[in-house]
Amino acid sequence: MNNDSVINKRPNPTSRIIMWSILILFAVVQIFPLIWLVNFSLVSNNEMFTNGLLVWPEKLRFDNYVKAFIDGHFLLYLKNSVLINVLAVIIVLFISVCMAFACSRMYWKLSKVVKGLILLGMMIPIHATLLPNYMIYDRLQINDSIWALLIPYIAFSLPQGLFLTCSFMESIPREIEEAALIDGCGIYSVIFIIITPLLKTSLVTVSIMTFLNNWNEFMMASTYLNSPKWRTLPFSVLEFTGLYSSNYAVQFAVMSLTAAPMVIMYFMLNKHITKGVAMGAVKG
Amino acid sequence: MMKKVLVVILTLALTISLVACSSKGTKEPTSENGTTKEQTDVEKSEDVADPVTIKVFSNLPDRTSGQGFVEQTLFDAYMDENTNVTIEVETLDDEAYKTKFKAYAAGSKMPDLVSVWGQPGFIDEVIDAGILEPLHEEDYKEYGFINGSLDGFSKDGVIFGLPRNTDVLAFYYNQKMFQDHGWTVPQTYDELLTLADKINAEDIIPVAMDGGDKWPLYIFITDLMMKIDGSGILDKVKTAITNKDFSDPTFMQAADLLYESAQRDLFEIGFETTDYGTAQNLFTNAQSAMYYMGSWDMSMATNQDIPAEIRDNIRVFTMPVIQGGKATATDITAWNGGGYSITSSGAQKEEARKLLNYMFKPEGWTKLAWENGVCMSAQDFAQFETGNETEIQKQFMQIVKTSTNISGSPLGDLGTTEFKTVTEDSVQDLSIGKITSEEFLTGLENVYK
Amino acid sequence: MHKAYSNKLVILSLVLPGILTFVFAVLAPICLSVYYALTDFSGLGDYNFIGGTNFIELIHDTNFWLSLRNSLLLAAGFILIQHPLAIITAAILDRLGKHAEGFFRCVYFLPNVISVAIIAYLWKFIYNPSFGLLNNVIEIFGGKGEVNMLGTGTAIWAVLVVLIWHGFGWGMLIYYTGIKNIDPTLYEAASIDGADNKISFLRITLPLMKPVIQVNVTLAVITALKQMETVYLLTNGGPGNETQFMANYLYKQAFSSFKYGYGNSISVAFVSICILSTIILNRIFKEKAEA
Repeated sequence: MNNDSVINKRPNPTSRIIMWSILILFAVVQIFPLIWLVNFSLVSNNEMFTNGLLVWPEKLRFDNYVKAFIDGHFLLYLKNSVLINVLAVIIVLFISVCMAFACSRMYWKLSKVVKGLILLGMMIPIHATLLPNYMIYDRLQINDSIWALLIPYIAFSLPQGLFLTCSFMESIPREIEEAALIDGCGIYSVIFIIITPLLKTSLVTVSIMTFLNNWNEFMMASTYLNSPKWRTLPFSVLEFTGLYSSNYAVQFAVMSLTAAPMVIMYFMLNKHITKGVAMGAVKG
Repeated sequence: MMKKVLVVILTLALTISLVACSSKGTKEPTSENGTTKEQTDVEKSEDVADPVTIKVFSNLPDRTSGQGFVEQTLFDAYMDENTNVTIEVETLDDEAYKTKFKAYAAGSKMPDLVSVWGQPGFIDEVIDAGILEPLHEEDYKEYGFINGSLDGFSKDGVIFGLPRNTDVLAFYYNQKMFQDHGWTVPQTYDELLTLADKINAEDIIPVAMDGGDKWPLYIFITDLMMKIDGSGILDKVKTAITNKDFSDPTFMQAADLLYESAQRDLFEIGFETTDYGTAQNLFTNAQSAMYYMGSWDMSMATNQDIPAEIRDNIRVFTMPVIQGGKATATDITAWNGGGYSITSSGAQKEEARKLLNYMFKPEGWTKLAWENGVCMSAQDFAQFETGNETEIQKQFMQIVKTSTNISGSPLGDLGTTEFKTVTEDSVQDLSIGKITSEEFLTGLENVYK
Repeated sequence: MHKAYSNKLVILSLVLPGILTFVFAVLAPICLSVYYALTDFSGLGDYNFIGGTNFIELIHDTNFWLSLRNSLLLAAGFILIQHPLAIITAAILDRLGKHAEGFFRCVYFLPNVISVAIIAYLWKFIYNPSFGLLNNVIEIFGGKGEVNMLGTGTAIWAVLVVLIWHGFGWGMLIYYTGIKNIDPTLYEAASIDGADNKISFLRITLPLMKPVIQVNVTLAVITALKQMETVYLLTNGGPGNETQFMANYLYKQAFSSFKYGYGNSISVAFVSICILSTIILNRIFKEKAEA
């Protein structure tokens, strides 16, 4: 509000025009490729070879989407994506809360070392573990199972989760839990009944960051998975380049379709996601 | 401090034990495990026909047209005849397929039936690593495989795979476009280049080239060598690789010619980054007049995704003769490339063998592939002539029938994998003028140094 | 009280799941990587220990250095192009208020929620010389429309553009939050003193944003080093190895060139470089803060 009053006091038309044009220019640059994507997903394949920016199709080709939906195994992959990501988020939250409590509240000598070790994971590039993990999972015969995705997803989201949860936990006064302990509560009930609800904002942030990071991952998925059983949404896109190599319009349709769930979710949870990302970034 | 050290030691110990476990696993001959398991499986299946699942890893992702369709049709038919058998197929595009194949090979368990390429660059290392199961030569006496087509899949007289098709390299062209503009099929390479100038003048791409995948470029250069040298370039290249000596003028001339052609815009702008699908799409959407690819793409003529006025007008010609070259028009660049093998670590070896043998009965792959206008098999396909062939099919059949010399596998596929990688990268660099012909050839010589 | 907080068993039960995940999914593979890096394992069959040979080869491998250079180029692109644009946009956005603010924020961030797989293919199509969006745009502005961005020479810039484009919203959002956290009375005071927007941006916004900028720069460098997915799908390092990045290069060596051992030695170097650069950056910023 205050900012508004500042700008209102100084109505400088030229600078306003410049500001608006910058904003609009960037907005166009950011959004136009996506509009182009949706547009081309609705035309027939030979209408794409045009010189215009957008194509006004003779007939809207929704059958492209039917193909994308069926041949892209959309429902199966969506289900897998949701399941794997939700599980990963829940487990990351659980482990983060437990570890954060142990590291920032309890007294033990190695607390700093353990925390530091896990946080080190933030610097380690996930792709450096692709080759050895393939070997390890192969020996353990968990390649091509949900574990081959869950384990690395959890492990690489954990450092951030732990970091954020720790810094939030430190801002919670100890008195509340100490009173509970005196009343005879066990440590576990203190953590899960008393502390966890207080961490709500931080938990939302961790969930969003974990979800955003893992939802779009496909490198590990394509290395560790063989059968369609656990494939996630990005696979629809990857598979279609082979399957429909001679029909670009369908490829555009599958891209739009796979992007849709996350875009819809973003529009629905816009506020939370913005807040979550911002909070995570500022704290991190 | 002591505790810190202790932690480090503990974690190290944990990981080392993990490493130890896994490395022990590597050295164990995995086939032992495989054999015992597989024997019991066979016994069982003979007694009560227990359910069997055969895992197939294929490089044909498109299951509704082309070779993938034929493959899937055969699998479906096999499952109908053997109700206890389930066939699970995993598919990936060529390059992704090869990558994943190696990942599989590094692991302990392969799928049962896999796509392979009967060329040293792919199959030698795979055979040496003991991944493939030997096939029984006597099984295939009546199968009518073309003479020499099994050579690429054999080592020391043992067959390790069956070829799927006879690949002939050619220029596909849009006949209607040619007629409309009054262009004619070039008889010499110079004519091809002149034609390219004319086509460029009309703002059309002369030849759509999949240079992003790189291998079509080394096939192209092999095609040029073939036309320059005449009698089968195979031995010359093999000798050059062994002796690390590419000083033969044929190589230099071919390299120069490729570079000049690219400079004269024979290919589309950005051909070095154009992928397979895009190259094909340029042609099938009338953006280019010609398209350089193998006979496996003859199924374009029956692909419903391609507009009828284009798909009905696709014709082919092989690389025109080069002035001063020793080859005639009927010396062609062709080989038996893709095929199938059974893996030795697969859980269902014998079942996979049965399936493979079923697929390659002459009335199996050969007949289906030919009748569907998909490709020419490596077996005697002419017996299945129906009279309903597409024009491209007839042309290819004619090309094969009248061929006087056949090149064998292309340049990049004749050395090790490393040689292939180097060839791919450097032929691409050569075609865009990033390196000279000399640098290209010394690069090939230096692979093994 | 203290006793309850130092119960070893409870502590163990709380940390064990996390430690196990970490050891199993991060530490063990890295140790395994070190192990394989010392072998000539091709990915198939037997292998021998060859000591540091792989690392010596690595030092002489121009493609490895090229991929490191590309990472640094990308980091520079992030820091010198993406972040300044993001800060400026964020500062302007901060002054819009209400609906327009929310709208633009939403638009800017949208590409971020879309999968890298889609982004990479989308841009491959955009760059396509035959029917891509880019050439059509150039033609509209009177150009010749025959630009092949993914070709030799320009490919690395094409890759940078995509990555900068994709991450723009994220960076913008972070700076935006940072700016929102600045006490608005500071601006009021400045405007009473006669400072215009430009001056208050330079004198107030930028200095107060320093800690946020530092964190973001560190993140940008790490992100640039870790880059793989987009490049893998967009160019796979090509043409030649012009757009090679470390993660993609190790993948190519291990799985396409049958050099699993060598691929792992790249892995090891890769991890070391990432950790090292984080440490160095932290040092630099710490010293600056103290000075």
